[in-house]
Amino acid sequence: MNDIFRELEEATLDQYDNYDLPKWLADPVLVVARNPLAYQGKEYLIEILLAQVREYDVYAEAGCCKWAYDHEDIKRTLGWLEEER
Amino acid sequence: MAIYLDCNATTPVEPSVASVVMRFLEKDFGNAASPIHDHGVFALAAVEHARGQIAEVVKARRDEVIFTSGATESNNLALLGLAEAGTKSGRRHLIATAIEHKAVLEPLEEMARLGFEVQILPVQADGRIDPQRLSDALRPDTLLVSTMHVNNETGVFQPLTEVADILSNRETWWHVDAAQGFGKELEQLRNPRIDLISISGHKIYGPKGVGALIARKHDRQFPPLRPLMFGGGQEQGLRPGTLPVPLIAGLGEAAKLAVRNNAERIEKCRMFRHKILPPFLALGAAQNGTEEYTLPHVLNVSLPGINSEQAIKALKRVIAVSSTSACTSHTRTPSHVLGAMGLSSEKVEQSIRLSWCHMTPEVDWSEVEHILRALRG
Repeated sequence: MNDIFRELEEATLDQYDNYDLPKWLADPVLVVARNPLAYQGKEYLIEILLAQVREYDVYAEAGCCKWAYDHEDIKRTLGWLEEER
Repeated sequence: MAIYLDCNATTPVEPSVASVVMRFLEKDFGNAASPIHDHGVFALAAVEHARGQIAEVVKARRDEVIFTSGATESNNLALLGLAEAGTKSGRRHLIATAIEHKAVLEPLEEMARLGFEVQILPVQADGRIDPQRLSDALRPDTLLVSTMHVNNETGVFQPLTEVADILSNRETWWHVDAAQGFGKELEQLRNPRIDLISISGHKIYGPKGVGALIARKHDRQFPPLRPLMFGGGQEQGLRPGTLPVPLIAGLGEAAKLAVRNNAERIEKCRMFRHKILPPFLALGAAQNGTEEYTLPHVLNVSLPGINSEQAIKALKRVIAVSSTSACTSHTRTPSHVLGAMGLSSEKVEQSIRLSWCHMTPEVDWSEVEHILRALRG
């Protein structure tokens, strides 16, 4: 179970240190990544969050198609993680 | 219950895939095309997540995955979908191989009826196409080449890397029917020269009724496909209709597992193969398709002196196997694949296909051998 959380932490730090993921978004994602017990049973949402962090792009909706994930996607998934979903 | 050895017809569903499907059937039932509320937004997020999981298998982009009802529809969209481009450009020459599935051969027959010239390449005795023959067949007006990835009857994988080299400087579109190899043999489908890849959910431990056409974009443009159906504009205008979110999410989960567990699955299939080969060799069976090019979960053999139909019936309490592809077995027509490989009609009638997976339990092979010997006697 912890693998996916470790991957989430690594991906978030990578996107924050080397790319455009802002601190205000990286911080709540890291809270999730570092608390696997609190999110046990929600691995499907963690996988979605991981994909969104890995494919995060500030300009995701630029151009004709949405080809990456943006801050709205990540915020929304963080919200779902706090719900009963 | 007989042990299921017909995984090329369809695979069992992975438990985690079934869980994901059930989640979107029972609880998260939103319509991905209605993201005006949270139900729809969550469904859309699941669809996009699945799209990424599938794209990852072949190192494509998420927006290059078009969901369909399965590989048959994907093949039809890839082939018939290019007809208008061929007609407009005057490129009416199509190339395919003699061992393609009916889901490729029959759309091509339809294209021939529409005025296209279809050239079918023979295969060698080892079950593979000869890349040089493909090279020789190419013409300036060749619109499309369609080659399968892994044959459904023999498990033999095709030399796609060599085909990619041949097509590297050609403008010909290239479609690969990967229903049997997607998620199993990973490397060849990652070749960016392949324009169109057809895949199926129920061959990779996912649900039936869902598949995808992966259409690689060039300069952010799809190959010049036209949709076969109209009404809704979903899937970037190429495949209308409400998306079956439970099936798509299940296919995504299956694709994820196919990558994550690939090496482990192959190893389990190899171990099973080590046990299956000795009894069949003891019976004098001849393998159809060269072992070197056969994926580890398939064995197609001709059993001297034993009719396949009788063998399948005699074995039905021990193992469940088939003699040909699931899509043609109900018609009782002889295998066009084995025929194309040069097998005599006698050997074709003696052929059975065994296909297993990482979830297949142990089989009592001595009992199988005993039953087959008795049949011969």
